[in-house]
Amino acid sequence: MAGQDVASSEPAPIISLRGLAKRYGDQQIWDNLNLDIYRGEIVGIVGGSGVGKSVLLRVITGLVAPDTGTVCVFGRDVRELNREEKIDMESRWGVLFQDGALFSSLSVLQNIQVPMREHLDLPRPIMNDLAYLKLAMVGLPPDAAHKFPSELSGGMRKRAGLARALSLDPEIVFLDEPTAGLDPIGASAFDQLIRKLQQTLGLTVYMVTHDLDTIFTVCDRVAVLADKKIVRTGTPADLRARPMHPWIEEYFCGARARAALG
Amino acid sequence: MLKRDQGVFLPTRVATPGYKVELRGTSFCLVATGSWTVREAASLESGLKRLRVPIPPTPDFTGVLDISGIEQLDTAGAWLLQRIVRMWEDRGLRTSFDGATESFEILLEEVRLRSAEQRTAIARSSLLASVTQGCAKAFTSVSREAILITGFLGLLVATMMRMVVQPRRFRPVSFIHHLDHAGLRAVPIIALICLLIGAVVMQQGIVQLRAFGAETFAVNMVAILSLREVGVLLTSIMVAGRSGSAFTAEIGSMKMREEIDAMRTLGIDPMETLVVPRVLALIVVLPLLTFVGDMMCLLGGGVMAKVMLGMDTQAYLEALQGAVNMRHFMAGMMKAPFAALIIGLVGCLEGMKVSGSAESLGIHVTSAVVKAIFLVIIFDALFAMFLSLIGV
Repeated sequence: MAGQDVASSEPAPIISLRGLAKRYGDQQIWDNLNLDIYRGEIVGIVGGSGVGKSVLLRVITGLVAPDTGTVCVFGRDVRELNREEKIDMESRWGVLFQDGALFSSLSVLQNIQVPMREHLDLPRPIMNDLAYLKLAMVGLPPDAAHKFPSELSGGMRKRAGLARALSLDPEIVFLDEPTAGLDPIGASAFDQLIRKLQQTLGLTVYMVTHDLDTIFTVCDRVAVLADKKIVRTGTPADLRARPMHPWIEEYFCGARARAALG
Repeated sequence: MLKRDQGVFLPTRVATPGYKVELRGTSFCLVATGSWTVREAASLESGLKRLRVPIPPTPDFTGVLDISGIEQLDTAGAWLLQRIVRMWEDRGLRTSFDGATESFEILLEEVRLRSAEQRTAIARSSLLASVTQGCAKAFTSVSREAILITGFLGLLVATMMRMVVQPRRFRPVSFIHHLDHAGLRAVPIIALICLLIGAVVMQQGIVQLRAFGAETFAVNMVAILSLREVGVLLTSIMVAGRSGSAFTAEIGSMKMREEIDAMRTLGIDPMETLVVPRVLALIVVLPLLTFVGDMMCLLGGGVMAKVMLGMDTQAYLEALQGAVNMRHFMAGMMKAPFAALIIGLVGCLEGMKVSGSAESLGIHVTSAVVKAIFLVIIFDALFAMFLSLIGV
């Protein structure tokens, strides 16, 4: 069956962006942006401030429409789906927003159960068991279950947000700056968590990040967004060894990178 | 979701999950097939509930979960499988998995570890306990509120006294800004609602008093009511909604962004810079607005008197003169500065109470308006009782 689906020997990308362009007012954010992401890899999207990294995440997840270009996820153009197909696709990916974006009126446990409640018809005991399981998998203590988002620390909110994103066992997880605002120990623990969950659940991870430590410890591949397009993709080590672009050079070989990586 | 064949993913083929139990030699074997995912969890669960746990006839019987037929597995499926294992092992049946791929094994092991963690139950209290607790909380919060607002009033007075001694501490720009915002810009809306209410009260009065042939006394009613109560109350309520809430929102959002703390570290007293100009501006402006409100009430009444009774201006003014005197006017007017103090104090205090989150800002803005209007009306009622006692 694999052979029928994929014509070439190379596997088909799980996310495929072709010729994306977006403009806000006078400002052209990207022009003819192309990117492929494959199943089971952790891809870090890096770039300077205001190059539209977070906007790109929003375009892929269908929150923002691009001006031109196509966004294919699981081989389907996300903008040509009807309502049911769209909902079906949305339950196959999970998004972790910067501060978790937990629903403030619901407890952590209820937050995790929201997608199950909306999309599936599960008996309550199972939902509780599964939510507790997700809670444990993201490394939160069981007594966090009945707390409200306002009672959690930033790191715990991110973990709870991740648990909600993983609620329906998605195939792709989008992370928007997962380690921003965490202390170095918390950030490192979160990196390990992402790696662990990726291995356990076979996830494909799309991660917007600034954090050099995250990139070098977690990411299989890095895509650099600069000059209104993806200028290069490659493994972190490869980008560091052969930057081939002034921004990459500055980022991977600058003072902070040297300090962080030795 | 994990797939047995990692190459397949377009399109996702959903194979209905299934299972059967069979006896293979000395082991009970549950053969699971299809996709064991969260989407199928409900139907799997209802079937598995009816599945009876095999009772081993001799202790050397073992259990095997043959999952080589499972095409897709996710946490929910792994959890269901691990639950079967747990149930079988509780019956003394040593149970293991067969036919798991490497990735399946990792997931099954992770789920086994994680689902063993202890949970805490929500502490539930009885109805009686929660009712009494709620009442106690309400009473203590009222008394705490009273202490807070009295303390805040004291702080305000102390700050103002300091300003009398050191006038350069006063912030004229801020004061004038709030005169403009809370005062001048509120004139149109207050004029309009007072005009309408004056007209409505007059119309109702005429209709009711006509039965007794006393419709001209509606003028007395409107005049006294407007000057003593309606003018000042309507104005206060409007100002509480317009400016009291704005005070809370302004100070609260500064509090949220730690601007107030920054002021303190710079040696600037937020009472001086934020609270005093606002409260003082309101104390100056509310009597003026009340005067506008009073006049518009009378005007509205006059228009209605003209329409319904054919009373001309001259006659209306003469009727007014006979009905009210300076005492009535002052009885209403002197409440205005106190109402202003209440609204300003509550607005600023609620702003200071805002904590880090946006929800807290919303809660305090709402409660500023509710508390200010409530306190103004309580004050008005007390004042009315006092005035009638001393016969004014």
